[in-house]
Amino acid sequence: MDKGFVMREGENGFERAIGILEMIYKLPDNLSEEDVEAAKNFVFPELQHTVIGLLDLPADRELELFFFRLLLGILKEAQRAQEEGKKLVFIPFTFPPEIFYAFDNIFPLCTEIVGGLITNICYGQGERFWDFAMGLGLPDSLCSANTIGTMPFFMGPGIKPDAIVYNSAGSCNPNAKIHAFASDYLGIPQFILEKPVDESARGRELHFQYLKRLIAELEEWSGEEMKEEKLREVMETSYRAVELYHEFWELKKAKPCPVPNIFSMTLLVLRSQMWGRDEAVKVMQKMVDMSKERLRKGEYTAPEELARVYITYIYWLFDFSGYFTWMEKEGITILGDILAIHYFPEMDFSSKESMLRGMADITFDYPMTRQMGGESISLRWLDDVACAAQDLGADACIFGGVHACKHTLGTSAFFRREMMKRLGLPTLMLTGDVFDKRHTPMEMFQEEVKTFVDQVVARKKAPRKRKKVQAAEDSA
Amino acid sequence: METTSVLGKEKEIYNDYVKEWKKKGGKVLGYACLITPVELIEAAGLLPYRIKALGNPDTELADGEMSLFNCSFCRACLQLGLDGTYDFLDGLIETNGCDHMRAMFENWQHQKKFEFFQYLKVPHFFRDDSLAYYEGELEILKEAMEKHFSTQVTDQSLEEALRGWEEVRAKWRELSALREMNEPKVSGSEAVALEVKGSSMLSEDFLRLLSQFIEEKKTAPGIRPAARLMLCGPATDEVEWFEEIENMGAVVVADALCFGARAFAQAPAGDGSPMHRLAESYLSSIFCPRMYKEYARRRDLILETARRARADGAIYLYNKFCDLHGVDSVLVRRDLEEAGIPVLVLEKEYSAKADIGRVKTRVQAFMERIGGGA
Repeated sequence: MDKGFVMREGENGFERAIGILEMIYKLPDNLSEEDVEAAKNFVFPELQHTVIGLLDLPADRELELFFFRLLLGILKEAQRAQEEGKKLVFIPFTFPPEIFYAFDNIFPLCTEIVGGLITNICYGQGERFWDFAMGLGLPDSLCSANTIGTMPFFMGPGIKPDAIVYNSAGSCNPNAKIHAFASDYLGIPQFILEKPVDESARGRELHFQYLKRLIAELEEWSGEEMKEEKLREVMETSYRAVELYHEFWELKKAKPCPVPNIFSMTLLVLRSQMWGRDEAVKVMQKMVDMSKERLRKGEYTAPEELARVYITYIYWLFDFSGYFTWMEKEGITILGDILAIHYFPEMDFSSKESMLRGMADITFDYPMTRQMGGESISLRWLDDVACAAQDLGADACIFGGVHACKHTLGTSAFFRREMMKRLGLPTLMLTGDVFDKRHTPMEMFQEEVKTFVDQVVARKKAPRKRKKVQAAEDSA
Repeated sequence: METTSVLGKEKEIYNDYVKEWKKKGGKVLGYACLITPVELIEAAGLLPYRIKALGNPDTELADGEMSLFNCSFCRACLQLGLDGTYDFLDGLIETNGCDHMRAMFENWQHQKKFEFFQYLKVPHFFRDDSLAYYEGELEILKEAMEKHFSTQVTDQSLEEALRGWEEVRAKWRELSALREMNEPKVSGSEAVALEVKGSSMLSEDFLRLLSQFIEEKKTAPGIRPAARLMLCGPATDEVEWFEEIENMGAVVVADALCFGARAFAQAPAGDGSPMHRLAESYLSSIFCPRMYKEYARRRDLILETARRARADGAIYLYNKFCDLHGVDSVLVRRDLEEAGIPVLVLEKEYSAKADIGRVKTRVQAFMERIGGGA
């Protein structure tokens, strides 16, 4: 029997997930170790890693409770949106949500955030939704992140989106295709913002024109004009978070890194669902403040920072404790992934036109869109990750290849070779999945990473240590 | 049934036609996707060569660059690029057809470093602004070819190429009519074999080949099919697959394939300069799942073709890991079945001979379902 995840009357998987998440309102602000233990035992065994991943380490606990309460508030707004006369639109994680917050009558819901919630909160970890997709005849090489995220709305009951808006045409086939499919299958409108695979001024100008046309289409569809003042308000809020993002990036350079690993996941969710809202600013501020405090105190979870790794593509997100917490306890710092690399232009807030031009630059250079939708996937991806890894002082890279990501899988051999040539950074190559643990269990991931760090990264560092010791001995 | 006896199957990548062209000093440009206007290449005095693998089952060099989660057709083509089979090419034109293909081109270029490597960027929808951009892209390609190969594309040479390929399309429609007869005079495998061969020819030679073939077939006896099938799917040049299906008594009376009818689907040119007409005829006629918003047009074309050819059923055949076609197949199956046309969806690996037995069993069962079982 499918115990533990019984759908309630009239609800779909998304609504059930946020219903379960509501338990965080009942938790006290200052959770003790005992409280965490109790919370862990309150959920099904297979979901304990979510509780541990978010609450086990003291810094994570403080931040994640704060963050998830704010996130839940926004998700509940999404749930109520249609009742309140708003249009609910699905967007992928590559689409900046702030565009929609500039409308009063359109509310964005990120597909992959829905998938992530279900995977980490609901019994069965979203497998029932993946299996439903397979039952429709969809190929098993699709992306679990957006497939699990969209299927609850196919299976119904409960709310359904009014439209799909996506910008992954040109940068990711599975992402664009599942969103187009959702539109065709559910019989709801779809709007595309294409990012040309053209990095010249001509390509950027075309993208800007496409964005303006998309806004006009959304205005016509929603019956609401995007107002300059509202856009400015949202963009100013967005840029308060941008300033904090830059500060956050700088903090990651310190050795040992004062930023807890799980904050990387938090940043991803903030950017995908909450950017442009005060909640995102509050969480960013807290992440910066906490990291600063840890830096001041010299706090680091493990006795020693053994490795600073850059995840060259995306994290695996079906087991927070097995991934983020485990690495942190092992002394392996996660510096970021491709989705953590943002290029925010100088924003000119003087007019609607100027803000939309800035917005077009943001969407053009949005993570994944910029690299996989670049003129050359391999070179743009390599340049950006190499730059980030070098800037943050990485010792090594991990490519957690996701089986759906044909663009990176098709160019990762080149990437690995060139990363070694350019920066001397070894890359551990793995294949698995973002949300589906059945591809590569977390234990296997841990074993591979541990061996890599012990055998490759530590050895790479060791000669330098020996040289230093030798030099010290010589000078003595 | 030996289906390709009249003209013979293409067996060599570097075939006699191309060798002859090169012997005369001609230059050859490789491309892979139907969104590349061959007219423009031909107007530049170059030979357009559509990348194919002709059933090559080896991928060991390509597997060092691309993963096993990538399309086996693209890996088979890359293999031939890396092992030197395609060294006769004087350049490559990349297009953003799909993620697999982009990775194939990038790896190819990283290793072989063609002096002429041009990226033709094609929008994912047909609209006034995307058309203007695409036309601009064609201008850029034209200038790049002119500069690199010291050639010139004039309005006149482009007009001639447009006319030449329009005649090829008209001839293909004649061929299609022979396939769609009650007792078809042309089989599906013959049609695909012709396109495989013609996709590395100039228009006038392809036209001659088609004309000769059609003339011979007009007087030939028709085939009494056990079942009339339509085949849908992506790029596959595996004529053997079609032969295997047709050897079971079915005839593929119509298709929506890249090495098939989709290669001839360009809408007739409208008004304006030859470059504008070329751009419009291509961008408006890309019946590929990469055109995300245009499923309804693809469905209508497939339905119209299936009805015209009186198909008893349709087979949607695609290579494993092709998400574009894999997803479209769900909708096509739903919509064709609703219209009373049974559909079999088959996922396979490129050129995996071991798959043939499995596929034949499924096709046989499908034929029994639609009343054409042997």
